[in-house]
Amino acid sequence: MTRFDIPGAIDRRAFLAFGGLAVAAAVIGPAGAAELYGPKPTGAKTGGTLNMGLLVEPPGLDPFHQAADARIRLTVLIYQGLFYESPEGTAMPLLAEGFDLSGDRLVYTVRLRKGVKFHTGQPMTAKDVAYSYNYIRDPKNGSPGAGDFAMITAVEAVDDATVKITISAPNAALPMTLGNKYGGVVPAGYFDDPEAKTKLNQASVGTGPFKLSEFKPNSNATLVRNPDYWEPGVPYLDRINFIFVPNAASLLVGLRNKRIDIATLARPQDVKQVEGVAGLTVERKPSFNQKAIDLGAELKPLDDERVRRAIALAVDKDEIMRASIGGLGNVIGTMVAGMQDSWGAPADKLANQKVDIAAAKKLLAEAGHPDGFDLTLTTIIGYDWMDAAGVILREQLGKVGIRLAIQRVELGVWVKNFQSKQMGFTFNDWATVPDPNLLFYRHFHKAPEGADFRNWKNDAASKLLDEGRVESDPAKRRDIYVRYQQVMAESVPTIMLFSADHVVVRGQKVQNYDQHPTGWYYGLARTWIS
Amino acid sequence: MGVYIAKRLAASAVTALLTSIVVFLLVRSVPGDVVGQMLGQTSDPVAAKALREFFGLDQPVWRQYANWLGRVLAGDFGTSWTRGQPVMGMVGSALGVTIQLAAATLVLATAIGVPLGILAAIYEGRAPDRIVQAFNLLGLAAPVFWIGLMLLVGMSSSFDWSPPLMYVPLHESVSENLSIIALPVLSLALLQAAAYSQFVRQSIVSALGQDYVRTAVAKGLSTRTVFFRHLLRNIGIPLVTFMGLILIQILGGAVIIESLFALPGLGRLLLSSIETRDYPVLQAGLLVVVVIAMLVNLVVDLSYRIIDPRVRLS
Repeated sequence: MTRFDIPGAIDRRAFLAFGGLAVAAAVIGPAGAAELYGPKPTGAKTGGTLNMGLLVEPPGLDPFHQAADARIRLTVLIYQGLFYESPEGTAMPLLAEGFDLSGDRLVYTVRLRKGVKFHTGQPMTAKDVAYSYNYIRDPKNGSPGAGDFAMITAVEAVDDATVKITISAPNAALPMTLGNKYGGVVPAGYFDDPEAKTKLNQASVGTGPFKLSEFKPNSNATLVRNPDYWEPGVPYLDRINFIFVPNAASLLVGLRNKRIDIATLARPQDVKQVEGVAGLTVERKPSFNQKAIDLGAELKPLDDERVRRAIALAVDKDEIMRASIGGLGNVIGTMVAGMQDSWGAPADKLANQKVDIAAAKKLLAEAGHPDGFDLTLTTIIGYDWMDAAGVILREQLGKVGIRLAIQRVELGVWVKNFQSKQMGFTFNDWATVPDPNLLFYRHFHKAPEGADFRNWKNDAASKLLDEGRVESDPAKRRDIYVRYQQVMAESVPTIMLFSADHVVVRGQKVQNYDQHPTGWYYGLARTWIS
Repeated sequence: MGVYIAKRLAASAVTALLTSIVVFLLVRSVPGDVVGQMLGQTSDPVAAKALREFFGLDQPVWRQYANWLGRVLAGDFGTSWTRGQPVMGMVGSALGVTIQLAAATLVLATAIGVPLGILAAIYEGRAPDRIVQAFNLLGLAAPVFWIGLMLLVGMSSSFDWSPPLMYVPLHESVSENLSIIALPVLSLALLQAAAYSQFVRQSIVSALGQDYVRTAVAKGLSTRTVFFRHLLRNIGIPLVTFMGLILIQILGGAVIIESLFALPGLGRLLLSSIETRDYPVLQAGLLVVVVIAMLVNLVVDLSYRIIDPRVRLS
């Protein structure tokens, strides 16, 4: 039995009881590294209202059925899972206090935090935890998280403060999966009411530091401090108004005139307009997102690996990055910028990263396209970086004879193509939580275990993804994922271009906001107003 | 008159019904649905199926329509699929914002446009006319988002002031509400005032050459009487038609200005429900737009009779 604990929270009796069986006593996370939700401030004052401007409005606030990132950014402040995705890539206990792992690594016995209350006032028990996770993992309930939880075979309440989670095969990413992206712990039986799904947009039933006060479409979502919150002394803010401003010009004017206290910006031209403005601070943080070119093998001639390699050899990532986000990010190889140190393969170990027009032309000739071919790139309307990047990409591919046409489609159409594995040749823009299994498995493992959206059907890659999921030794696991990334760089189902930084603009009164690399607004749980 | 109104309303109801069918089919012909939007890139087929059943999207379209129509006839527009709020409440409050915007714009545009048009007509070909014409040209040529943006940026850089971004309804705070809608109303009104004044000028200039004006002047009536009793009354009908058109145009076309100034109006509600494929909101919202357009037309037609008793409504 392996034991995982946060320092200082070790239950000695349980430790001794299982001690004889212990494989190794492990502690999650580097000691003393990350703090929950970001660094705790000194001299923080309680009170005040923060106005945050959002360019993208969350389509809904239901963490169980709504996958949109714009939703997750807000609801991580309202709902909590068992673990927190620390920026360093470890799963820190959140509603969990720690857990024991059985010798066969299939049973997690999770000890729950005590004294946690729901926004409804009722105390949280193991029954609620079991109910919530059983709800998410049953695909019939329609949660986008169901796929991530497919490896869980049972979640049971042992007693009020203990939950037993059984999985079908060892999975090193389980704690990270029990994070805050989908779901969260809600009172047992919450969804028995057929209207419950939609009621989550009106009243919150989570355990998080903030409660939902009102959600007005096209106007604002307002959160208020949860007076029963289990962490002592936090949060500091009384109220957060998330104001939906669909237009960057108004948002920038609002920031200048203090109608908006804080906002995150994505377009370089917007960032330029607030740089150097008195009273505004601009900060950049590395992210877990990636802007990529996907190469769906269902579209001929992208089924030919030589063609895909030729495309990769023609792409100058840095040029695309500078043209599309004005250098506000990092060019990447096969790992998002925020996880490069912990999980990324070194750039010199990856194939097809440097521009080599001659080699690309040679590959195309071998593949039977000595004069190049016509190809259509799909971009998504509203994703501004794709417009500039598309033009640059057309120039770059033109050098090897590929004649690129650009087709702009609406997001709903794009998602439909993606889900039906008909993505073709397209830009993509997506983000991950900090675990390589959660980053790669579903996207790149062959069907039916993975979704394999790009029809890659790569056996070697799938085998490595299986190994990486099972391996719990961090060093060995990293080695497996480095080898996986080498396969990916060699075979090119996708070309990961760059990670755009999170650019936060804030007024002077906003103190201690730390932007999480996921882009979610965890940091507001530690923010205060001077 | 009563029979006429009843007939018109009945015809409107039939039109609304037909429109609702077209709208119903149209919103469903756009690829993707609310489930795809909710589940995102990594959707599970079983989960997708479950949600489609929950929303009734697994049913044949005709049955979905029948179910929807049945509920609407019973006065229930349902609940928003993504917001969980009653559709009537959402459309109603959005409509309130847009109607306030449209009404204020109409009043301001009339107050600016009609006097300018009269002025230009009286001084036809002379300096005041030229100035008004220049204003009209500018107003008609400049896109509304540009005017709005210039006002926004101009106010910000000159006075360090910009409108609040979180909407407050009139009944909650008059001053706050007015400071929010002032710039959007001004942006829309400048554009409409230009169209207005151009129209009024044109109408008066052509009316001045008519026999009835010459007769009125010849029989010694004062300029004032000629103008208000005879001339204005005669251009009244086209003017009212024009007002109706402008009102419908503002109601349907406020989406740009609503987005620019972050107003939670009907245009923006429709746009966001297209993006999320929130069919109940979309269907109700479009239906409301159609019904309002028909009602405005009815009121315009009825006012013809008030302006000119010779008009027979049949």
